[in-house]
Amino acid sequence: MGPARCSGVGSGNSGAYTTEIAESLRFEEEIHSIVHPSLDSSPAAGGSFTALLGLPANQAVELLHETGPSEAPGSAAAPSPTGELWRLRLGEHAAGPLHLPLGCSPTFPSNAALVERAARFSVFAAEDSPALSSGGGPSPRLKAEPLDSDSPPLLPIPTEKTQRPAKRKECEKSKAKGPAKKSKSAEENTAAAAKETAAENTDGEKLPYVHVRARRGQATDSHSLAERARREKINARMKLLQELVPGCSKITGTALVLDEIINHVQSLQRQVEFLSMRLAAVNPRIDFGGLDSFLSAECGPLATANGRGGVALDPALWSSHPVTANGARWLPQPQIRHVDVWPTQQSSTAWTRDGPAHPHALLNPGASLVGYDPASSVLLNSNQLKTEL
Amino acid sequence: MRASSRFKSVFLEQMLMGFQLSGFPCRTMSLPARMHAIKLSADVAMAVARGSRRWTHGLIAHLSKKEDKSFLKCILGKQYERLTMPCYSSWKIQRCKTILRRSFRERFGKQKPAQACTLARSLVKTRAQVLKRLVPGGKAMDGYSLLDETMDYVVCLQAQVDLMRHLLGAFEASKLRAQTKGTSSQGRKSIKDETDGNKKDLIELCMHLSDNA
Repeated sequence: MGPARCSGVGSGNSGAYTTEIAESLRFEEEIHSIVHPSLDSSPAAGGSFTALLGLPANQAVELLHETGPSEAPGSAAAPSPTGELWRLRLGEHAAGPLHLPLGCSPTFPSNAALVERAARFSVFAAEDSPALSSGGGPSPRLKAEPLDSDSPPLLPIPTEKTQRPAKRKECEKSKAKGPAKKSKSAEENTAAAAKETAAENTDGEKLPYVHVRARRGQATDSHSLAERARREKINARMKLLQELVPGCSKITGTALVLDEIINHVQSLQRQVEFLSMRLAAVNPRIDFGGLDSFLSAECGPLATANGRGGVALDPALWSSHPVTANGARWLPQPQIRHVDVWPTQQSSTAWTRDGPAHPHALLNPGASLVGYDPASSVLLNSNQLKTEL
Repeated sequence: MRASSRFKSVFLEQMLMGFQLSGFPCRTMSLPARMHAIKLSADVAMAVARGSRRWTHGLIAHLSKKEDKSFLKCILGKQYERLTMPCYSSWKIQRCKTILRRSFRERFGKQKPAQACTLARSLVKTRAQVLKRLVPGGKAMDGYSLLDETMDYVVCLQAQVDLMRHLLGAFEASKLRAQTKGTSSQGRKSIKDETDGNKKDLIELCMHLSDNA
């Protein structure tokens, strides 16, 4: 799943990754500083591990609990549509596992809880670091960690450590799931939110290790954790799909929802076919010959100032195109423009009618109404054609 | 979850370009051929407008298998190379899965039948397979990414249907207007009126589309 996503997503996300890689490097330093306990007693304004662990346990727990509310907007933003999904990636934990020296456990009363919270904090810090840096002071909302939840998490730590190297040898797809298993949280709400963000964020290339806490009364076996994380990922997606497909929100049960989704997709595909048939029936009068001339005439003023879209012409194609009766009539010769994704493609062939042509900002983020004008040219031409004949 | 207006504009433009390229003015084309060409250009426009997703790659691969590649190349231009790049990683997933499936079959060949959970799982499995067939490029996806791609595909399909419906409405309206005005008067003046009327019509269409977006 990882490499597929890598190739599929394209280069648009590279910008996001560089910041995340920078974040991960910062965390590597912090992780190493945990191993060598040179602990500061300064407050965790910058959100570093050392600062956190240097605090007394209460304050640290408070600080870490502050990640709770900041995760909620993260998870709420996670299911945002289309391209946004890809932006919520976690930074890489280049260092991999946290080398938590258990020998330093006597230093802190609730070390295990702190450590896991810190781990979780580190994972989400890519999103939450602005929130955390602002939330340096103790939060008014203090929630004490139930002490008995400390004991089960102690078990997963050694299993974590042993399983991590084993997991590294697996193929990347299962590696994707392996780290995702390790998400632990005591509260139900933050657990759900955390897992959602963890799950959605780790669903991509080169995943960090997400540290999970088992909920109360549930098995802490790594397999069941993995299963649970996977199931919750899938359930989150199913909920989104339910919202998308009309009439699906009342249905419970995966199979029935999938039924509805299948029906919806089939009906949409059939509608497309039907509409294309109707368009074909309407079409004989419509000539698209003067499309581009109209485009240049009308879209010039409308084209956005963002001149990233490039225009490339295909003269070979144009010569093979059946010359319409209309073509002779339109004095700027109709042109076919291919809009490139990459900028700078302004063709300087004879076909370029309007010299420094407005780069047709097709794939620009700013273009809104640009595309609509071709439709108007179509009808103009139909009338022109009619009069000729 | 609606598609963005930028997507719609890109889509529309690409689709009209596709219509143009498919030799529409040539009236000798029969209705099924025209329908096929329209559908093809609409699909390609949708894939191009959406960008690089698994289902877009799958769709374009599927279309290039069926159709002649020259037409696709014309429409896509430079993006043809980029979009028809085979996703080798997706094959890898499929290979892994077949190996896993075989090993699982050997190991768990004799399981207790008719447990509730296994029954539910098998139902979900069958439906997931149907969905894989529906969504382009779905065969090489696992459960989670399948749902992801389905969601995206549904959004784009809805936008496509929307656009085509509006386009159809605009064409039919203009046709009606042309017919009514054609019966009445002659000369250039009437044509000018027609064009103005059509422009208004299309401006309405654009406004409507942008409102919906």
